[in-house]
Amino acid sequence: MRVSSHVDREQDFTRYRTFDWGPADSLPAGDPRLERNVFFQDHVQGAIERHMAAKGYQRADATAVPDVRIHFHAVIDRRIDVNAVDSQSGYCSRSDCQAGVSEYEEGTLVIDVIDVRTNRLVWRGWAQDSVEGVLDNQDRLARKIEDAVRLMFVPLPATR
Amino acid sequence: MRSTRMSGRLSVVVAASLLLASCAPVRVNSYVGRDLDLHRYHTYAWAPPDAFSTGDPRLDNNTFFIERVQRAVDGHLRQKGFERIAEGPPDFVVHYHARVEQRLDSTQLRPGEPGCEAADCHPFVYDAGTLLIDFVDPRSNQLMWRGWAERGLEGVVDDQTWMDTTVDDAVRRIMERFPS
Repeated sequence: MRVSSHVDREQDFTRYRTFDWGPADSLPAGDPRLERNVFFQDHVQGAIERHMAAKGYQRADATAVPDVRIHFHAVIDRRIDVNAVDSQSGYCSRSDCQAGVSEYEEGTLVIDVIDVRTNRLVWRGWAQDSVEGVLDNQDRLARKIEDAVRLMFVPLPATR
Repeated sequence: MRSTRMSGRLSVVVAASLLLASCAPVRVNSYVGRDLDLHRYHTYAWAPPDAFSTGDPRLDNNTFFIERVQRAVDGHLRQKGFERIAEGPPDFVVHYHARVEQRLDSTQLRPGEPGCEAADCHPFVYDAGTLLIDFVDPRSNQLMWRGWAERGLEGVVDDQTWMDTTVDDAVRRIMERFPS
């Protein structure tokens, strides 16, 4: 799993106290196997809420305006992998080495934190990993989601 | 392109391709529109970013990436004497396009042949990035100039500092080809 983030380096995150969920940007459509998957949406939201709390952020009251809004987006792309043979069987000498070309599906989960007052993106985190054998297996999907959000949120600036 | 209030907006498409980090030459090229007379153009404005995907979800609607591209282009245009304006019709419009695609490196497909003698030579796929910049005359809706750069992007987007310097480098190489 590859995880990273971009941050607004000039932003003081200790100014933010509360968060709430925001409507999606006009992003290209995510993959319906994830975006219309209630199990997936629930688990991602739950993981985000737990990890935001761990960083000191609180969910805003229903009637209050939050300091930041959170939006997440999931896409699945077909990726090509060459040298599957190499990685599976280890070293092979040039004379008998056969490059294997395989395709696999890779999922990307992107989480955006938006400053409500300025309506600007202040943090974006993402996690990318193969979803082969994951989408149809709820346990595996739940664990992938937890790993993704947990690792992604490590560098998110805490508010307290 | 999204419709805008101004007819015939000039769009500057910034193409920045990032070649493979390990041995990535940057391929840069440009196109000069017919009868381009730069003396007629002084002010510019940016067209809105594309509504379609770059092909990389990390970059879609990524304010940090978008603003880095614009800032880099703004700097070069300012040096060349052009002025960015917020109000009023601009002399030309700038638009950028960014695209990320997987490519197969075909130079290493044939073990034993030149360029592929080492035992560890094997084909590989990499992410190729292209950044394109267009300058368009809004009155005629004609493309004044287009520049683009292409290079490998392995590991670049995940590292914000590296992404920033890669954008700056690509824009610099593109703008070096802009006629003065």
